[in-house]
Amino acid sequence: MAYKQVSLGAAVAAFTFSLAACGGEAATEGASGAAATGPEPAVIEERQANFKAIGKSFKAIRTQLEGGSPDTAAIASAATDMNAYAMLLDDHFPEGTSVDEGYDTEALAAIWEKPDDFTDAKARLVEASAQMITLAEGGDVAAIGDQVGAVGGSCKNCHDNFRLDTD
Amino acid sequence: MSNPEPAPPTPGSLLSDPAVRVWDLPLRLTHWSFALLVPALWWSAENSEWALHKRFGVALFGLLVFRILWGFLGTRTARFSSFVKGPATIWGYLTGKVAHTIGHNPVGALSVLGLLTVMLVQVGAGLFAGDPYDGATGPLNPLVGVATADTLTQWHEWFYWVVLGFVALHLSAIAFYGIFKQNDLVSAMLSGTKTVKGEVEENDRVMWLRFVLCSGVAVGLALWIANGAPPLS
Repeated sequence: MAYKQVSLGAAVAAFTFSLAACGGEAATEGASGAAATGPEPAVIEERQANFKAIGKSFKAIRTQLEGGSPDTAAIASAATDMNAYAMLLDDHFPEGTSVDEGYDTEALAAIWEKPDDFTDAKARLVEASAQMITLAEGGDVAAIGDQVGAVGGSCKNCHDNFRLDTD
Repeated sequence: MSNPEPAPPTPGSLLSDPAVRVWDLPLRLTHWSFALLVPALWWSAENSEWALHKRFGVALFGLLVFRILWGFLGTRTARFSSFVKGPATIWGYLTGKVAHTIGHNPVGALSVLGLLTVMLVQVGAGLFAGDPYDGATGPLNPLVGVATADTLTQWHEWFYWVVLGFVALHLSAIAFYGIFKQNDLVSAMLSGTKTVKGEVEENDRVMWLRFVLCSGVAVGLALWIANGAPPLS
């Protein structure tokens, strides 16, 4: 019976590890890589809440566009929120709040290593969302739809370069 | 995996081992895979290991499909028809009027159905979860709208506590049987056999062709879902 238990355990373990191995993508180094140097700065939670709010307003815009008759006033309102949140980002990244400091964050050190690129990345979102407000107020649904690509592209650009890839 | 189980004792033979077959090997492998995958899924989500989380989730989906098919085509104790009972039998078991020998008892049957259901709901929501502009998405995320995906993502987050509740109940029941009824359920789920007093009809043997059929369908369906359920024609 002991033999069977061991072999069953081995079979289950082998199955699980083969699952973990079969994808080919290397697991990314998580926030657990380094020990935190001190209590977590409050700004980390603030900026995460702000990004969540940005995501929510972008979802509101896309949800409108999925329906048959998008409410362009609602889109303009969501884009206005998004633009305001985007401008807050300038105050959200003080030095010493990267994932390398061991905090529960996905902010890469590249933010501070390439400050000009990061400034541009933030500006892209501010501009794309401002343009979205203008287009939504104009009421051209096709143009609003195209602008979703520009806004989404600014999200992706920053995630690709400055956010820990956990995907 | 051809036939790892030693030959069982012949009923009635002299010097026979008193242990009888209870759980077939595919059922046990599925069970212990659930036991590993649920914590692994929790861990991968907590640590934002989304690639792993998705892979584990698809694996769990495939195992659930297998377990459900096995509930119709598996050995006797694996089949839903052998253990899912009505309220009268459940009450009879609770009040000690209905005897139980091997396999899931009438109350345990509710636990099986409950656990399978909550895992299926949780995996089902996860398949559609996420936002393509913000990190990982389930393989079926593009099939639903932004708002639906967002709702399902929130479900997927809180429903974990429901899964955890069912797991806690399951573990408590096992502890209860072990401590108060001297009934070691864990060993039987590991070895597949159980020492039972008196004559019992032991579980039948795995029909491996049926196993191939069930696992083939489960793997095929899981891979199809993992690829975003593309049109088959």
